[in-house]
Amino acid sequence: MVVPIADPSDETLVAQAAAGDDRAFEQIVARYESRVYRLACRLTSDTDAPDVLQETFLQVYRKLPTFRGESRFGTWIFRVATNAALMLRRSRARRPAESLDAFMPRFDECGVHAELPSQLQVASRADELLDRQILADKARAGIARLPDLYRDAFVLRDLEEMSTADVADVLGVDAATVRQRVHRARLMLRGYLSEVVGVRR
Amino acid sequence: MNSVVCSSGVELLMDYLEGVLPPDVNAALEAHVAGCERCTAFVASYRETPRILRAATAIELPPEIQASLHAFLRAQRRRPPQ
Repeated sequence: MVVPIADPSDETLVAQAAAGDDRAFEQIVARYESRVYRLACRLTSDTDAPDVLQETFLQVYRKLPTFRGESRFGTWIFRVATNAALMLRRSRARRPAESLDAFMPRFDECGVHAELPSQLQVASRADELLDRQILADKARAGIARLPDLYRDAFVLRDLEEMSTADVADVLGVDAATVRQRVHRARLMLRGYLSEVVGVRR
Repeated sequence: MNSVVCSSGVELLMDYLEGVLPPDVNAALEAHVAGCERCTAFVASYRETPRILRAATAIELPPEIQASLHAFLRAQRRRPPQ
């Protein structure tokens, strides 16, 4: 009878890989490569994501012996990947992104929403109203138009679903700053989705 | 704080959803949204925005990129430490 063996924990694999076990390192790669690639696409672009992916695992391979377990391994690898993405982004000639400021909510002089409930609500139905591929393209384009600081916080917090505390840890800022940046990103992207669906204004 | 209007309420939404508002502000915001059709609609779309964009950008790792990652890492491991 074959007794199923539970998958080894990250900590076990990290210890084995740090001691020179290549099979353990390959298991770490297999466990995280999809998530790192997805993160890289969200923080950079489809074009740059393969480079970020390679750089991340090269750094992980080199830095594994220094991993001390102060944060969870998953958080640590996301920090390595985020830094790799930010480095690559910085090395690219910065083309001025078209601002998303126009998509912030608008209010009348009394502070009341300037749009009607049906207009305000429509962004929440973007995935019903748009073709899947069109929405995917528009989503990527919209996220790329965010100011970098908002984009990083939004991607980690809302797209990768990390806790606010972990995002603060990865980005080296406090939790209130993360919340403020994510909030601005959500406001811009909410308005952007309304525009994409085609009913705003 | 007991006079929330749409514009001030919007600024509280993130902290509200994260559960970090003081109780009196929390109650004032909930009272405003419950009585405001526009804010109810706005909050719904604000909450849905991350979910929609998460699903729309949830791409898979293409096999050819995976293969080149593995080949790259094998080559790196064969190199003597610098």
